[in-house]
Amino acid sequence: MKLTKKLFLLVASIATVTLFSAANADQLDTVIKRGVLNCGVVLDFPPMGYFDKDNKPAGFDVDYCNDLAGALGVKTDIINLAWGDRIPSLVSGKTDVVIGSTSDTLERAKSVGFSYPYFVFKFQVFSKKGTPINTFDDLKKVKVGAALGTTYETEYLAYAKKKGWGNENYTSFKSENDAYLGLFQGKVDAIISTNTNIATKLQTEEFKEYVAGPYVPNYDDVVGLIAKRSEVAWIDYLNLFLIHQIRDGKMNQRYNKHFGSDAPADLIQALRDNK
Amino acid sequence: MEYEFHWNIVFQKLPQLLNGAFVTLHVSVLSMLIGIAIAVLLAIAKMSDARIFSLPATVWVEIARNTPALFQIYMAYFGLGAFGIHLSPYAAVLSALVFVNAGYLTETFRGGFQSIPKTQYSASKSLGMSSTQLYRYIILPQMFRRIYHPMTNQFVWSILMSSLGILVGMNELSGETQRLQSLSFRTLEFFIVAAVMYFLITKFVLFSAALISQKVFKGEL
Repeated sequence: MKLTKKLFLLVASIATVTLFSAANADQLDTVIKRGVLNCGVVLDFPPMGYFDKDNKPAGFDVDYCNDLAGALGVKTDIINLAWGDRIPSLVSGKTDVVIGSTSDTLERAKSVGFSYPYFVFKFQVFSKKGTPINTFDDLKKVKVGAALGTTYETEYLAYAKKKGWGNENYTSFKSENDAYLGLFQGKVDAIISTNTNIATKLQTEEFKEYVAGPYVPNYDDVVGLIAKRSEVAWIDYLNLFLIHQIRDGKMNQRYNKHFGSDAPADLIQALRDNK
Repeated sequence: MEYEFHWNIVFQKLPQLLNGAFVTLHVSVLSMLIGIAIAVLLAIAKMSDARIFSLPATVWVEIARNTPALFQIYMAYFGLGAFGIHLSPYAAVLSALVFVNAGYLTETFRGGFQSIPKTQYSASKSLGMSSTQLYRYIILPQMFRRIYHPMTNQFVWSILMSSLGILVGMNELSGETQRLQSLSFRTLEFFIVAAVMYFLITKFVLFSAALISQKVFKGEL
């Protein structure tokens, strides 16, 4: 009996100490003390995140992870996520921050904390040369696909609904890669993706016969970093980090490395204005 | 844990989730019915002495039972797609589930057939019954009675496996859940509700199966 009581006291005191230290240390402290930044990236989305020839994580988002870790003075651990894993990875504590082109909708901001915008995409149609798509409304007449749970899927479906098209000609794919595979196999005539990913695909041998088409009308996809909603100090740090990326010219360097030209002035200005 | 549950968003989207649940039920019931029909034929073929019948049946069963369902759904969708055969997500999942169900049920049915004493076959013949009559009135009713429980297990299995339809963008319960949670990022809430729905669907199916068995077998199970 005595032994049980002692054991119980021991366990209880350890639990108390752990709980207290957990309550005091916020995410910023935790990362610095740990010495490792667990950075979530979607590595299915070139040139933002992908696997390079040596099967190592690479891309704009991966560079941002390393820049952030550099600023914090810690090592980076890149964690590969599917689109749908971004929030669960934060909630379960597997990642400290997700740099994964997350569109900052007000609906999502009820669940997760967003930083200032760090990039702006356009959504674009991608199809084989000769497919009769001149304006976005021509999509009504062809088979369309996109990756499941992405903002461009939502935008397309909302647009189609507004125009009264129905969803019969629409197919969703589990991942970005599957959407491109579906287009390549001819399962769909056109897919919707981001202008950046399409530009990367156009440079590959498989998609030589394909062409980038019209943009999704009136839509800029503004994306931010995400972290746990309650970690306000940590999100403040992330915001300051993003400001410094622009101010110190790192953003432009990274853009140049991955897109082959300087960042457009309107993109830089939009990010400076936080919109 | 500091997680705050937001349930109202899930209730708003309940009609869409129920739609997904209906597709799940639909595809698994259909895959089961077609699977049973094929499995009866495969089981008879597998027991045949003629290799022309038994060999294809054996190959079907071996592939269906020894490869992952995930792989079969992918083959039906992207595998056939490489040859220019384009099944819709629904058709791809349905055919993959039929393939697996038929494979597993064949072995179950074969066991059922073999548990029936050989003497009944000769007895029926001596009464002047044709082969069709023999199976229709003597063998199949007894066989189905014996394998009824394993068969309902397979049914539950195909309901749960239909969630793999998410891989090929099918709008069944899992796909719909994934889509809705990505809009609001209320991951945990949507997944919990989806899990409850799967639970209710399987319980509903087991209950219906029990009702049917009482009606058909008059409780002699």
